[in-house]
Amino acid sequence: MVEKAILFDATRCTACRGCQVACKQWNELKGEISTFTGTYENPSDLSAETWLKIRFTEKAEDGTFSWLFSRQSCMHCTEAACVDVCPTGALFHNEYGSVSLDKEKCIGCGYCMEFCPFHVPRLDVERFSGAGKMSKCILCTNPGFNRISAGLEPACVKTCPTDALIFGDRDELVAEGRRRVTNLKTPHSRAYPQANLYGETELGGLHVLYVLADSPEVYGLPADPQLPIVNRVRDILNPLRWVVWGGMAGVLLFNLVVARIRQNLAKEE
Amino acid sequence: MAEAARVSPNVVERFTPTARWVHWIHTGAFIELCLSGFLIFLPWFGPWMTGSVGTWIRIIHRVGVVVFVAPPVIYAIFNPVKVWYFIEEAFVWGKDDFGWIKAAPSYYFGGDPRLMPPQGYINTGEKLFRLAMVFGVAAFVVTGFIMWFFKGTVAPPVYQWCLLVHDVAFILAVAFLFLHVQLAMLHPRMDEGILAMIDGKVSGHYAKSHHGKWYEQVAKEEKD
Repeated sequence: MVEKAILFDATRCTACRGCQVACKQWNELKGEISTFTGTYENPSDLSAETWLKIRFTEKAEDGTFSWLFSRQSCMHCTEAACVDVCPTGALFHNEYGSVSLDKEKCIGCGYCMEFCPFHVPRLDVERFSGAGKMSKCILCTNPGFNRISAGLEPACVKTCPTDALIFGDRDELVAEGRRRVTNLKTPHSRAYPQANLYGETELGGLHVLYVLADSPEVYGLPADPQLPIVNRVRDILNPLRWVVWGGMAGVLLFNLVVARIRQNLAKEE
Repeated sequence: MAEAARVSPNVVERFTPTARWVHWIHTGAFIELCLSGFLIFLPWFGPWMTGSVGTWIRIIHRVGVVVFVAPPVIYAIFNPVKVWYFIEEAFVWGKDDFGWIKAAPSYYFGGDPRLMPPQGYINTGEKLFRLAMVFGVAAFVVTGFIMWFFKGTVAPPVYQWCLLVHDVAFILAVAFLFLHVQLAMLHPRMDEGILAMIDGKVSGHYAKSHHGKWYEQVAKEEKD
């Protein structure tokens, strides 16, 4: 199956937040009462009931104020820390290359939430017992109403009035993103010399690509996202534990045999 | 041990009933924690512990923690001096301890027991084990506490390292459990180890040959 992706063009986004609403509607997520924190950004963070939101980055330059809008949701990494760390296989790469979640399998451990380089998965958890379920964007691959396999676009893309979000084959979107970045950089009165395409190679290639007007850090994105070191150590540790336990058991068994034989020999004497 | 050896000189009290209860409750909880942790942690078992099964195993792990931590804590509340001594004992080292390390490989593989320097109430191996246990339990409890109560609020890298430390402690703890079981129950030289933890007593002969310095002390108190 050919890899699919979403291309988000920050220079086209007007922050109408239609995508936020469409996401809630399609995925039947509850609305949440939020509080005013001094910004038009709303709600202030992702949650188990909010899988997508538009982030407002405020910028004041040469006495003029402007917003940078960016889409905050699962980036659907190829080298996905969440998939690597999930103990039950509840998180997995689907046939389109994006990261799906089987909620039936989720035990609510929250490791995905703690390892995600973009801090996307959110846990709805009962603190004392630890019982809960994780939630995040699954790129509209919900079992039973999978938009992608039905040949539809994800709900957020479908609703976007400015085509800041487009959906398609990943290869084509990478080419499109590059083309847009080249255009944005072309010197003219409204050029964006810092424009760049984010997600082409990060973490093995993201399935949400960003055309950004400025450097990723300005948007609150990690410039060079990496799989956490602990992921890599655990990959070594998991087989190593059998060496440690097997080695210990082997040494002890050998010791037992030798000690018993020598004790019997001593008794015979 | 002041209260040891109230019985005949041929039988010496090694562990008080309280110590034995604490040991066995702690052990039971430890094994439960190992098994439930094993199931949660190893990706091999993922397919069998999904959904509510996995959630229940995680709840059982939490119950196990309370049972694991409670006995030593309650003991420490009622008898802080003894618990402090339990920890302190492992840090007091002398020349016989270095002698033990030199003699141990030969001794435990059935070599000449006379080469082993006389040992106190706990021998050097037990001191090392106790050190590992004190630091291991501390590592488990601290990282486990953070992961239980500060999930989502502590900085993610802190959580990640807690998970790693918890796992490394687990790998080592299981290896040490094998060693402990071997020396308490299976090793031909330690033929009274497990009995001491069941009925609290060891023979005078065992005490003398395994814990010479302690036996002398007990025998002296007996005379007085």
